[in-house]
Amino acid sequence: MSRMMTRFVEALRAADVRVSPAETLDAARAADLVGFGDRTLLKDVLSLSMAKTPEEKAAFDATFERFFAFETLRTATATAAATASAPEASDQDTAPQEEASDNGASGDSAASGGPPGGGGDGSEDIDAAAGAPSPSLMDMLRTGDRTALAMAIARAGEQAGIRNIRYVTQRGLYGRRIMERIGLQELTDAIIAAERAEGAGGPQSDALKGVRERLRRDVDDYVERNLALYAQNEGKRLREEVLESVRLTNVELRDVKTMRVLVRKMAKKLVALHSRRRKKARRGHLDVRRTIRHNVAYDGLMFDTHWKRRKVDRPDVMAICDVSGSVATVARFLLMFLYSLGEVLPKVRSFAFSGHLGEVTELFETMDMDQAIPLILRDYGGGATDYGAALQDFADIALKDVDTRTTVILLGDGRSNYTDPRVDIMQQIYARARRVLILNPEPEGLWGTGDSEMLKLKPFSQKAQTCGSLKDLERVVDDILRTAA
Amino acid sequence: MQSQGPNVTDHIKSDAVQTDIARIRDGFEAGGYVANTHIATAVYLAQMLDKPILVEGPPGVGKTELAKATAAHLGRDLIRLQCYEGLDEAKALYEWKYGKQLLYTQVLKDKLVDLLAGTRGLDQAMERLHAFDDTFFSPEFLEPRPLLKALQVAEGCVLLVDEVDKSDHEFEAFLLEILSDFQVSIPEIGTVAATVKPVVFLTSNNTREVGDALKRRCLHLYIAFPDQALEMRIIEKRVPGVSASLLAQLVAFVQELRTKTIKKLPAVSETIDWARALLLLHATELDDAMVRNTLNLLLKFEDDIDSVETEVPGMVRRAKESAVGAVPGAR
Repeated sequence: MSRMMTRFVEALRAADVRVSPAETLDAARAADLVGFGDRTLLKDVLSLSMAKTPEEKAAFDATFERFFAFETLRTATATAAATASAPEASDQDTAPQEEASDNGASGDSAASGGPPGGGGDGSEDIDAAAGAPSPSLMDMLRTGDRTALAMAIARAGEQAGIRNIRYVTQRGLYGRRIMERIGLQELTDAIIAAERAEGAGGPQSDALKGVRERLRRDVDDYVERNLALYAQNEGKRLREEVLESVRLTNVELRDVKTMRVLVRKMAKKLVALHSRRRKKARRGHLDVRRTIRHNVAYDGLMFDTHWKRRKVDRPDVMAICDVSGSVATVARFLLMFLYSLGEVLPKVRSFAFSGHLGEVTELFETMDMDQAIPLILRDYGGGATDYGAALQDFADIALKDVDTRTTVILLGDGRSNYTDPRVDIMQQIYARARRVLILNPEPEGLWGTGDSEMLKLKPFSQKAQTCGSLKDLERVVDDILRTAA
Repeated sequence: MQSQGPNVTDHIKSDAVQTDIARIRDGFEAGGYVANTHIATAVYLAQMLDKPILVEGPPGVGKTELAKATAAHLGRDLIRLQCYEGLDEAKALYEWKYGKQLLYTQVLKDKLVDLLAGTRGLDQAMERLHAFDDTFFSPEFLEPRPLLKALQVAEGCVLLVDEVDKSDHEFEAFLLEILSDFQVSIPEIGTVAATVKPVVFLTSNNTREVGDALKRRCLHLYIAFPDQALEMRIIEKRVPGVSASLLAQLVAFVQELRTKTIKKLPAVSETIDWARALLLLHATELDDAMVRNTLNLLLKFEDDIDSVETEVPGMVRRAKESAVGAVPGAR
């Protein structure tokens, strides 16, 4: 049972349900308590002790169904064979079924370090000892004993290491290995023999070929199910890794959805990292109440002093985003990031500009991200970028709100179409704000070339950096949160 | 491998467990809390494994009620700890009775002369002093708060830590000792362990993600909105006197309302309020005007009411249609 539990946990982990060893133990205790007699009950108790978020519950349900679908197939085989109560069991079928039960009993020993010959050979040895006729692959196929066959496939699968399957492309490899282990050679020999006897296209050889096809389908199904069980997320994970570091301007439309999920995931990580509210003990202010309380024991003498603590405020963030042309994609993901961080960044104000600038905070608060962004692009995108006008607009709207708690992020390529970038306003912002960050999707070598005003803007920021991929964005946001305290 | 199979003893085991779970469910229902098997299973498992349950779900589906129902069913006291930002050990676990301690030191000062009478020199006086028990930090001066109380109840209790997501991280970390070992350490006295382990419920509304360490120590129960049949039984239980036709209609209406995109979906508690209101208005059937007038009981945002209002006639019609096919007597 513990072996099955660990296999199940492995399958769960493949499905992105994080199960700790302690939880595995709990689940084993729970399963032990209720027994394996009732499927729904078992599912309930395992779900209670292993899946700990709604998403995990959903993944758990799917995995449970899949896993115990063929886990029970195997056990059903054992019981059916043991009791020989299958309704369609004719006289002819009874014999192989009894042998199948023998196989079941000795299945473990055959699987672990048994003869490399696999199902067919192994069972032959055992059955020879038991004095019964051989239930080789041929017999199983001839009698149509599907349960014994399923069991043989499962056993061959174990030997072939099916649990290590990770990618769709490995299907053929594992299918082939299982076929070989189960005794494909024997079947092929029989087909060749039949063809020799009656010539190509004879009824006997055709029947055998049909049988081989069916067997192949069964094996393919088995491999398919295992792939779904152990590897469903592997491909996705690989893809996400690539997307994280690809340049945002190159992201294709069909990937945007995955990117959103990714942003949310990264944001969650950052929230977990930074959601602890830091406190700073400030010297000089005595916390009278706490001090008196703690010094009652010393007859009211101020012996053990306590000082007032100050909660460190979360940063206020103002994001000024260029939404023209190629920068828009990056802006989109930055905003997505900032708004996913609502828990640790409660105050985010966002501004969008190309020719002129406007505040778009409200749009994000009342609307879904997907609806808001096209609206913003319609209202502010498209015009010729003019940093001077945009900064002037910003000064009118929000400069008075920039104070020592504010972090200002300016996202843009700094290309102002040869208009005056109004560095003087930038200087004012720099003087008032706690921090000014400039993010530029262009690589640093291009800064200052052509109409780029980056080199003029750069001195009025604590940090100016290239920001092309999601990874870069994550680093920036992490940095903002880190230095906030 | 064979023992994996659903053999005979396993069936007996499962059947016994199911009887126990059914008993819990019936007990809940007798106390006015209608639960599905999943919830009853969670309570059963928590009792058998001595593990706390973390209950999550949208507000108003009866998370807190579950703890109350369990207390009623087991005939134990319910001790409740409401979490909020800034909650600390002094309010959750224990506090010293400062006033009494102060009096004690004064009394001690007065008596000191008598106590030390006849001693010569500082050494002797100190020796005499050490001979007394130090009662300053002793259980007598301890003011137990909910968590400590829960450990001390002799016949066991049900402890409800409500809205644990509202508390600080520090407090969450501090809960860990209690939840895994059912004991707390008081530096001046030592470790206090539970005489009878309490059944612990933690509820969370997901204002923030509860830490992994806490989740690992708990069973996790997610209570979703009930389906139509269950909700009808809940209303029937909580608001007796609602006619069968109205019951089916109003539940069908609320069920459809939950499929709309609105800010706050109506929960069971809102359905109960609405059913009560309709009962007071002597309604036997839903009608458009009445629904429109009482919509504010179900929806708590002006925007939501505005967006739904125009659809009311259609929804009422559909609710009536579905109610004809559903229920009276199907229960």
